[in-house]
Amino acid sequence: MKKKATAFDYALVIIFVLISLVMIIPIYKVLIDSLDLKTAYGMKLFPEKFGLAGYVSVFTNPTLYKPFLVSCFTTIVGTFTGLTIATLGAYVLIQWKMPGRTLFANMLLFTMIFSGGMIPTYLVMKAIHITNTLWVVILMPAINVYNIVLMRNFFEGIPSSLFESAEIDGCSPMGVFIKIVLPLSKAALTAIGLMYAVSYWNDYTHYKLYITNDNLYNFQMKLRSVIMGSDLPQAIGGATENTVKNAAVIVAILPFMIIYPFCQKYFIQGVNIGAVKE
Amino acid sequence: MNVKKKGPAVNSAGENKRPLLVSLRYYKGFYLMFLPVLIFAIVFNYLPMFGIRYAFYSYKGIKEPVFVGLQHFEKMMKMSGFWNAFGNTITLSVVKLLLNTFTAVALSLMLNELRSVTFKKITQTIVYLPHFMSWVVTASVFTLILSPTSAGLVNSVLVKLGIVNEGIYFLADKEWWRGMFYTINVWKDTGWGTIIFIATLSGINPELYEAASMDGAGRFSRLRYITMPALYNTIITVLILNLAKVMNLFESVFVMQNDAVIQKSDVLHTYIYTQTFNSGALPDYGYTTAVGLTASLVGCLFVLVCNKASHKVRGRGIV
Amino acid sequence: MRVKKMLAAGMAMTMAATMALSGCSAGSKTSGTAESAESSSATGETTGKSEVKKPEKITIMVNGTVTTKANNRDAFEKKWEELTGIDLEIIQPDHDAYFDVLGQSFASGPENWPDVIILNGSYYTGYAEEGALWDMTEAWNNSELKASGRVKGEDVIEATKLNGKLYGFPNARRGGCLTYVKKKWLDNCGLEAPTTYDEYLNMLKAFTEGDPDGNGVNGDTYGVSAAGLVGAKGGDPSSNYLPEFYQDAQPNFALGEDGVWYDGFTKENFKGALERLRDAYSKGYIDKETLTNGTNDCRNKFYEDKFGAFTYWAGTWATNLKNNLEANGKDGELIPLKPIKEVGTYEEGTAPVWAITSACENPEGVFKYFIENMLDGGDMQMLWSYGVEDVHWSTKAETILGNTYAEGEFHTKESIEKPGTQYTKQHLDPTLAIVTWDNDPGKNNVKEEARVSQELFNENSHAAVIIPSTEAMATYNGDLTTLKNSIVADVVVQGLSIDEAYKRFESEGGAEWSKLIVDSLNEAGAAK
Repeated sequence: MKKKATAFDYALVIIFVLISLVMIIPIYKVLIDSLDLKTAYGMKLFPEKFGLAGYVSVFTNPTLYKPFLVSCFTTIVGTFTGLTIATLGAYVLIQWKMPGRTLFANMLLFTMIFSGGMIPTYLVMKAIHITNTLWVVILMPAINVYNIVLMRNFFEGIPSSLFESAEIDGCSPMGVFIKIVLPLSKAALTAIGLMYAVSYWNDYTHYKLYITNDNLYNFQMKLRSVIMGSDLPQAIGGATENTVKNAAVIVAILPFMIIYPFCQKYFIQGVNIGAVKE
Repeated sequence: MNVKKKGPAVNSAGENKRPLLVSLRYYKGFYLMFLPVLIFAIVFNYLPMFGIRYAFYSYKGIKEPVFVGLQHFEKMMKMSGFWNAFGNTITLSVVKLLLNTFTAVALSLMLNELRSVTFKKITQTIVYLPHFMSWVVTASVFTLILSPTSAGLVNSVLVKLGIVNEGIYFLADKEWWRGMFYTINVWKDTGWGTIIFIATLSGINPELYEAASMDGAGRFSRLRYITMPALYNTIITVLILNLAKVMNLFESVFVMQNDAVIQKSDVLHTYIYTQTFNSGALPDYGYTTAVGLTASLVGCLFVLVCNKASHKVRGRGIV
Repeated sequence: MRVKKMLAAGMAMTMAATMALSGCSAGSKTSGTAESAESSSATGETTGKSEVKKPEKITIMVNGTVTTKANNRDAFEKKWEELTGIDLEIIQPDHDAYFDVLGQSFASGPENWPDVIILNGSYYTGYAEEGALWDMTEAWNNSELKASGRVKGEDVIEATKLNGKLYGFPNARRGGCLTYVKKKWLDNCGLEAPTTYDEYLNMLKAFTEGDPDGNGVNGDTYGVSAAGLVGAKGGDPSSNYLPEFYQDAQPNFALGEDGVWYDGFTKENFKGALERLRDAYSKGYIDKETLTNGTNDCRNKFYEDKFGAFTYWAGTWATNLKNNLEANGKDGELIPLKPIKEVGTYEEGTAPVWAITSACENPEGVFKYFIENMLDGGDMQMLWSYGVEDVHWSTKAETILGNTYAEGEFHTKESIEKPGTQYTKQHLDPTLAIVTWDNDPGKNNVKEEARVSQELFNENSHAAVIIPSTEAMATYNGDLTTLKNSIVADVVVQGLSIDEAYKRFESEGGAEWSKLIVDSLNEAGAAK
């Protein structure tokens, strides 16, 4: 595949530079505002009065590190729970000959479309005593039919000959799942794991509705109150309310800016099939 | 590879010869594995569904619910606001879905063609960043960029180039609002949407490409005969799954709508929101449930139809 | 390979965890407390008519206006229990989700209702209408507080009554918005503070076409900005950010002097308001982006010297606006405007209330020991106003954020939640409380501009009439409000003619809904 770069390659690079620019301008605006100690309404290229006070006030907030830990904990545990559910569900859904498969599939699909609404859901959560615990924010988003179906789609790509030979070797369904399916699905696990992680990290609604104990609030809740709290009068420290708000927005994006590059290597071509040939 | 892929699918076409009992024993392990998924679905999705009955009750959350039959549905049919919201939901959602999927696929394919790994990584990281901005922040930033005053980036460029004389109030103009809505959605979610396609593309055997190259296939025939068929399945699945969520459109519209464009932008969930918070009385939970239920039924219809189509075209549905 | 193992291990772990979950619920913290709340609030038994029994425990559900956990609510709770000898349980959901969570608790049955809750606006009228609130009229009339003569806000309490009955207690005024004008801008244009609409319009013209900010450019500024033409989206429906244009007209339901309800939108004077708004908007006096502005967009533009007249909250915000302007290097002096002649008086919204639920076992006791106590003019009022000594305020000699205080000098401490700022109040704003409080130690700490603007507002405002909720209101008002707002936007921004606007109101059902609601309001009024 080593060939000389063609005009097409150059054109592609130029297109991507443009796309990246369009993508970045609005975020750049937030970044600049977060570093500017002057309140700005318009767009600027550079901060007028540079200062890190916005970030300092986000990070020195003594009540912030605990929510941060809560976020990390629920994101990690939640992502694993979610992946467990998604992979198990997906694996069963590719057993085409299994009696009841279609019923299960439709049952899951049905939940995507119909829901009971806010109050009934709360009453159920209360009845099983998980309101005001972290269980509710970890378990509830773990069942995500969208992710199950996508995962199933990936599993389908695994050659059936592999399953057959494993079965002949006397592997149990669980054995096949752990020894063959999971190792072959790194790209899928990464992509869907990332989707779970993001939804856990950004989760706000579940905390808002099911948790009234402030000790269990996550980072997103806290940032939200920094952003939304701006309607309450407050005196002026080093940073204006606008600076703090924008800094909070950037801080919320940061973890995934750091994590994503590490995930990318699983998206490199051929991971799946290469592994099969080992 | 394609043939192998179809392997399990072909079997589903009803040639289930084993007696049920044997079959059940054979799949015992799988049922066990499905158990946690089933429990989750029942506890978090099915048990709360008893709330759907409120669609036939008048219920404000305090006194006992009173059975009112189809009264809520009758009211709904009479309200022009409901029908307006109903139509808008479908238009906005479906166009948005098609655009988002199309751009995400196009972007993934283009990313796939990039040669420099570092450049690819950097662009990928950049395009997926907008997904992390909350809708509230996105809306406030775009309100500024699209501002009709000289502070607005777009309008100041248009004015400078002499295309328009006076700034256009994009977000409060009945003609422009929808276009802006789609654009902002594409901006925010295209990059994120590529993740699933890129993961799929990474599963394509590079040998296929090499073999094709050796046969003298150019970039575009490789794209047409190798890449696209591999993506096809994922695209269909993503499209249909998202159709199920078509009626759920809320936050992105809510943060961008305003009084001037309400006729073009009001969707079912913003309609429910207004009913709940702007009525000056305790909202009737029954009415909002009835509207929600109607939305679900329509969503259900969408999925059934598309699933049928998928059956026809590909020999099987999405799940 | 390592990754593979890690993944497998992680999976196995979480799988085990999910399996074990069903047995884990015992670890939940609430299950215990919720039950204890039920049993302990059942203390009242049959209370004697004359003597009010002291409750043993009170459960309250409050929003973010009460000292939050992050600001050491525990210390607050401890101090309160110390002062009363009553066990207090505070449930405080996230501020934004307060009414959702409250609704959930109510829906899960009276045994889960707290004793005391905070309500406002349509939630107050709605909960009262549904019979969820205890009628405290008697308790208030017989209260020591009423007899003490310290109450200066009887009008606020009167305005809170629904058909003559009091279901919630407003311990403070709501406060409201008045119009601030930048003094330097007036000076630069050689103008005086306006007292009539003509003068006001003239001022906006000068602000828009001249060079009020003195930067040498004519016409890069405008007169006034607001968040929305009718009221802020999702905000307080009674907040009107453009009072000079609306004047005596208003888009909502109102009670006429003859005691008959009417819809302000259908009155002749509303057409005048629409014309004034349309005219000023087309001339550029009103911010072109009014429809898409959020309140913080408006504030930022104000701080940036984009416009000169701003209708915003009286009181603490006066200081806030000034500080932010100065932080931006602009002149911070603002003139709080007396209402112009045509406006008459500014409107003050309905105050939030403390209500006792009808599930409360000993409401008389809760009223006396919880609600009345709040305004005792002593330690308890101190607690509700400024918080706990040496946590939220102090009289020790110390330096806080560059301000040095002598021994014995009252001052508030640095905020725990927002470092770099000092507390102003905890729950009760002393400048808004409905009682006189001679011993208020913070009296002298109130900033001059905040005091002046608040006093000006108090002298020049009238209380908004509370609109009862009716069945027709619940059915039609959501759609009606949407239609009205859409019509106002059409007229003002798109230049639709008034006739066509009202034709649209007629044809889309607005006139019919409006009539149904007005009739229901008058019926309910006649029924009492």
